[in-house]
This record gives sequence, C-alpha cells and structure tokens, in this order.
Amino acid sequence: MATTKYTKMAYASADEMVFGEAKKPISYGLGIKVGQGLVIPEINFAPRPGSEKSPESLTKEYVDYIATDIMNRAVTLGFPAVQLENEWIFQMSNEPEKFAKPVVAGQKAVIEKFHDQYGIACAVRHTCADSRLHENGMRYGQDKTHNYPEKMMESFEVAAEAGADVISIESVGGKEISDFAVVRQDIRGWLFGIGYLGSIDMEWLWTQIVDLAKRKNVIAGGDTNCAGANTAMFMAGGYLDKDVPKTFSAVTRAIASARSLVAFECGATGPDKDCGYEGPILKAISGNPICQEGKGAQDAHADLMGNLIAATCDMWSNESVEYHPEFGGSSVQCWLGVIGYEAALMNAAKQMKQDKVLRDIYVASDRFRGAEPYILAYDNAYKIGQAIIEAGDSYYLRAKAAGLKAAELIRDSNNKGKLKLNKQEKDTLNKIITDLNSLPDEEGKFVDWALKEYKDVPAFNPKNYEL
Amino acid sequence: MSLDFDAVNADKILIRYDIVVESSEKPEDIAKQYLPENQFLRQIAQDVMNLKSKDIEKHVSEALETLSAEEIIEKGLLAGMDIVAELYGRGIYYLPHVMVASDAMTRGTKVAEAALSGERKYKGVVMMHAAEGDPHDIGKNIAAVLLKSNGFNVVDLGKDILVDTVVDEVQKQKPDVLTGTALMTTTMSAFSRISSRLKEVGVELPFICAGGAVNREYVESYDMGIYSAKAAEGPGLANKAIEGWDWKKIRSNWDDIINGKA
Ligand code: B12
Repeated sequence: MATTKYTKMAYASADEMVFGEAKKPISYGLGIKVGQGLVIPEINFAPRPGSEKSPESLTKEYVDYIATDIMNRAVTLGFPAVQLENEWIFQMSNEPEKFAKPVVAGQKAVIEKFHDQYGIACAVRHTCADSRLHENGMRYGQDKTHNYPEKMMESFEVAAEAGADVISIESVGGKEISDFAVVRQDIRGWLFGIGYLGSIDMEWLWTQIVDLAKRKNVIAGGDTNCAGANTAMFMAGGYLDKDVPKTFSAVTRAIASARSLVAFECGATGPDKDCGYEGPILKAISGNPICQEGKGAQDAHADLMGNLIAATCDMWSNESVEYHPEFGGSSVQCWLGVIGYEAALMNAAKQMKQDKVLRDIYVASDRFRGAEPYILAYDNAYKIGQAIIEAGDSYYLRAKAAGLKAAELIRDSNNKGKLKLNKQEKDTLNKIITDLNSLPDEEGKFVDWALKEYKDVPAFNPKNYEL
Repeated sequence: MSLDFDAVNADKILIRYDIVVESSEKPEDIAKQYLPENQFLRQIAQDVMNLKSKDIEKHVSEALETLSAEEIIEKGLLAGMDIVAELYGRGIYYLPHVMVASDAMTRGTKVAEAALSGERKYKGVVMMHAAEGDPHDIGKNIAAVLLKSNGFNVVDLGKDILVDTVVDEVQKQKPDVLTGTALMTTTMSAFSRISSRLKEVGVELPFICAGGAVNREYVESYDMGIYSAKAAEGPGLANKAIEGWDWKKIRSNWDDIINGKA
C-alpha cells in the first residue's frame, strides 16, 4: 500500500502555528471552510436511551429534535458556521441500511433547509463505529460471527451515499495490547500495541477509507487514538485519581500521535476527530486542519487542558452530550452556545491580530497543570513532531522516538522546577525512560521480541495484522 | 517568538492538590501490621505485595513442603493481595500495582492449585460481561482482577455479549452473582432485558450493573439490579451475596456496604 511519509515539518517553526489557520485548508459541505481564518464549532450528541428501539424513533430523535434544535440555536446566536458530528451508535453500524440511512439523509435535509434560508455554512460529519472484535478477527472474512469488518466498511458506503460531508472513525487496531499494557504500566507493550500494530491497522483501514471518500466525493476526515491514549488519559484522570500516573498517559499520547498520523499519510485531509488530543502534533507535521475539545467538552469528561488544547485548533468541539432539556434549551443548544462563543472569541482575536496572544494565554493557563498538557503545548508538540519525522519510516522507531522525546521534555521541565510531578509520576517517568531506552534499534528485532512477550494476551491474534 | 512560558507562575493559576496531600507513608510500614507470621507465608505475601512474580513459584513450591495448598492460597497469596488492596485504597499504590501483583498471585496460585487434593474451593462464582453492542470493557477487566484477587471464581463471558447468551450461561453455570458493564446509554437497556428474561425462567440473583452510562436510578428500576460506580466496590458487594443476602437486601443496604459499614 502506498502511503507518503512526511520528511519535513509543515511549519517552519512552532510559533507559526495558531488556531483557525492550517497549511492545508479545506472546503466542503454547504460553504464550510476549515483552516482558512475562522474556527468553527463542531457539535456532537448522543440520542436518549430508548430512542434506538426503531429506525423511526431514532430518526425522529436525531433529525427532528437534535439537528433541528442545533440549527435553530446556531441561527439564533448568529454563528456563521456549524458542523454536526454524529458518532454512530451500535444499532446504526449493525444495520446501516435500516438504522443509519434515514438518519444521515434526514440530518442533511435539515442543514440544507437552514442553509438555503439563512445562508449559514454547515456540514455533517459521520463517525462510523469500529465494532471489530480482536478475538473474532479484524480483517475481511475472519469474523464469521458478526461480519464486523465488512459492516464497518458498509457503514462508510451508506454514510457517504446518504449525505455525509465528512467521514471519520475511532479505530481500534492494537487496542487488545494497549488495554493489557495500560493497566500494567508497561510502556513497551503500549508501544507495540498502538505504535506498531495500531499503525499497521491504520494503514490498512485508511487506504480504503480515502479511496471510498474519493469515489463518493466526501471528505476523509481523520482518526483519533481514543481507544488507547484516551483510555489512558481518562484513567489518569485528575488530581484525585490513582489509576494511571499522568506521566504514563502523557507518553502514550506522544506514541499515539505517530499512529494517528497514518490517516493523513494515507490521504485523509482533516479535520481529524475532536477527541484526538494528539492533534497539535499531527498538525505540526502535516499541516492538516484539526478538531479539538477541552473546556467546552465538560459535558462529556474533565481533562487537565481545557484552555491549552484550543491553541492550535481549527474546529472546536463539545465531544458529546446526551440530548435532554436544560434551563437554557436542549443540551445540544446549550453546549453549542459554549463552543460557538469560544470560536467567536478566537475569531475576534484573529481579526484584531491578537490571535497569538490569545493562543499563548490558553497555553499559559494549563501548561503546568499536568504532564499531558505540557507535551501538547504547541512548542513541545512541535518538538515531538520533529522527533517523529527524524526517526524515518519505521512505525516502531518513530513511535518510540515520540514517546522518548515526550518523556525527556517532561523530565527536563521537572528538573527545572517548573512542571511539578508527584512521586508516582516521577517513578513512572524514570521507568519509562529506562524501558524505552532498553529497546532494540531495529524494528525486526523489536517485533520478534514483542510477538513472544505478548503472545498470551487475550484476544491478540497476529493474523489481524498480517504478522 | 512566542512567550517564555517558564516565566509563568503556575502556582497562581492552579494548585497540585495531589502533591499537597501526598502520603509519606511507606508500603512496608503499612504492610507490617498485616503480614503473616509464618516465614513461608510471609515471603509469599511479600512477593505479591512487592510485585515479584519471578520467584513466587519457587517460594510456593518451598512452602508446599510444610504447608497445605489451601493455607498458602488463603494466608499467603490472598493475604498479599489484601495488603495491595489496602495500599491501593490509601492511594499509595496505583492500579498498575494491583494488576501486576495480581499477575504474581495468579502464577503462585497455579502452583498451589496443582497440589490441591480436590477442586479449589472458591468463595463463589461471579459471571461477568459487557453489554450487547458495547465494546468498552476495560472497567470490567479491572473489576475481574479485583474479584479474582478476593478469592472469587470469575467467569468472564467477554464484551458485546448477546442478552440470550447471558441468560443461557446463567442457567447453565448457576453463578452466585452476575455483573454487566455498559458505557453507552444505547446499550445499557440490555440489562433490564436480561433481568426480565431471568425472571421468566425463574432465576433470581444479584446482578451488579456498572459502567459510565449507567446510574443508580436506572439500575434500581429493574429487579435484581445492584449499582456499582467503582471496580473496587465489586468484592464488597459480591461478598454479601456469598453471605446469603439476596438482591433486595443488598440493594436496601447499598450505602452501608459501599461505605464499609455493613
Ligand atoms: C476509551 C473509550 C472508548 C474505547 C474503548 C476501549 C476499551 N477497551 O474499553 C473505544 C475507542 C473502543 C470506544 C469506542 C466507542 N465509543 Co467510547 N469511550 C471511551 C471513553 C473515552 C473512556 C471509557 C473508559 O475506558 N473509561 C475508564 C473505565 C475504567 O471506566 P468504566 O468502564 O466505566 O469502569 C469503571 C466503573 O464503571 C466500574 N465498573 C465497570 N465495570 C464494572 C463491573 C463491576 C462488577 C464493578 C463492580 C465495577 C465496574 O469500575 C471502573 C472504575 O473503577 C468514554 C468517555 C467517558 N466519558 O466515559 C467514551 C464513551 C463511553 N464512548 C462513547 C461512544 C459513543 C463510542 C462509540 C460508539 C463512538 C463511535 N461511533 O465510534 C464507539 C463504540 C463503537 C461500537 N462498537 O459501537 C460515548 C458513549 C455515549 C453514550 N451516551 O452512549 C462515550 C461516553 C464518549 C462520549 N462522551 O461520547 N470508546
């Protein structure tokens, strides 16, 4: 499969990166322009429990209530542009023709109506589910029980044909190993799972998605390592959580960036998925527009970089909210207000030529809140990006380089007394640096070792990766 | 050039409360009061506590020369895990310590089990699954480890498990406790279906339901449902079932069980 690996950073320096502008801007949908001077809010939602019972009830929920509410509020508040994101629920991906098609077509009709009437720029992203089960087989013909790999690709077909503007996925290659490794604080296993296996699966998957998107004339957005790095980040949590040290989750994020980059190498154009916190690293390398989420995603989860992660975004998201009433309207309307106003602030800053000032204020707010925000601050993200491209074409070596660079950045700032770490975080960081440095310099040797080391991990089947 | 961020005084913007309250207690000091007297058992408990799976098999074999396999499992391996749970509860150990300690315990247990005269006597059987259509299973897997470490026989059906399969397996294997995990609001409805199907076939048992999507109100809206928010609560709830409490009694004393008062 032909993928083009990056050999040069898209930006000459970190300081060149700022929200609302991307080196490779794109236009699509009903007047949407991403990375061309305006940050656009992207609102994501989940239907109420019970609405999944029939295609009719689900369509009513997604179209008549959710999409219509969103468009009404966007116009009410005067937002120039809005993107809807629909993360497919199980019922949609299991029976795309029956459950998904009417939803996709219905949402499109709603945004078209508002676009025609008011001229508001809009589009819908469909994030089809990756329901593949590692134990049953990730490639075609392997999963005789559910046919999940086939259903996944069928989902994209249905989405694209019924009116999706952007297609995306949160793919799960390598997750069986990263799940095992994250709860054992085993960075070498994590590197094997996401850095190596995950990248291989991404290449397989994204070559096909890009091809399909070209045929159907839709945008191939991008991926996110939700399955790996977000699992680590959610488990690491905040200051009261003791499940995973935050230095560990920070290093997993850097490794994940080398993996999520593969979508762009296969020809995806962005905007990538909101929950891919690795976005700033990808943008630094590739110049594709990114979608991020932070303080406006408190409806879905709390993270330690609510402001910082906005610094280089092109779209700004709420991650996801269940549809229900609030005092200020329905939940999607309220959260659209939150992210839409933040986008307005960024766009005003841009017009007043204060965008880099606002960017740096965002960063200053959270830079030292934790190890993960620290490495995702655009200057550090840029350095991790450099480590990736300097490491060459090997998926293993570049993911390892990204992880090591992140660990070193954290260590150096901590030594200077700037980024504080608790004892567990420090111990873990030292072990990570030792572990990564102990690994071989050759991909083949590493893979041989890892295949033996992790052969008994439940659900791990090398055939899923053609190994 | 961008700003010199090192000039920012973060202390005026955020407080690292985790560092403020960081415990200076050492695992060894806390463990002292819990470690078994017998030197073999003590060594095994320490292997578990110190995450040393390298020598644990050897140590178990040595202990088998003078002690029974049951004793080694109960008072050595599981006692070690109790200390680990205590350290985790106090925030001195993190989850990975628990998982790696449990790997060590499992290795030791295998050696001891081979020497058992009959079948190993478990506290009871817990059957686990993640809901039909739901791929989120990491919370379930953590809970499984904690239950095993507490002496339960865990039968893990896996993730994305059909309602029918769950009902069939419960009838076949007759566990003491059933658990379900759902992280999506659109998959959790499987739990109420499982509950009514079990009722139809005349089976009643405590059904612990957990996962990001579910809440106590929902879980208590159908029979048998017992809510849990944290994996660490699993053993406490399952223990009550083994003591003979039915789901109604567990449910009505839920707050006390969770707070360690019952
Ligand atoms: C990581 C993650 C994933 C990973 C899962 C990896 C894995 N191995 O589990 C992947 C990428 C696969 C994934 C996929 C999807 N996800 Co997801 N995911 C998450 C995320 C970010 C974190 C979940 C997590 O691991 N939490 C940490 C674990 C430890 O928590 P936990 O499982 O709840 O367990 C705790 C307790 O519940 C309890 N517990 C659990 N089980 C048990 C059992 C017993 C016996 C006991 C006692 C206790 C107990 O103990 C644990 C703590 O101690 C959440 C975000 C969130 N806010 O939750 C979204 C989230 C759950 N996902 C969501 C969605 C929508 C999806 C997708 C449908 C998206 C898509 N279209 O692609 C797909 C599913 C595709 C499909 N097949 O249908 C939504 C669900 C929204 C809703 N209302 O339903 C969430 C809430 C994100 C959001 N806000 O949009 N996801």
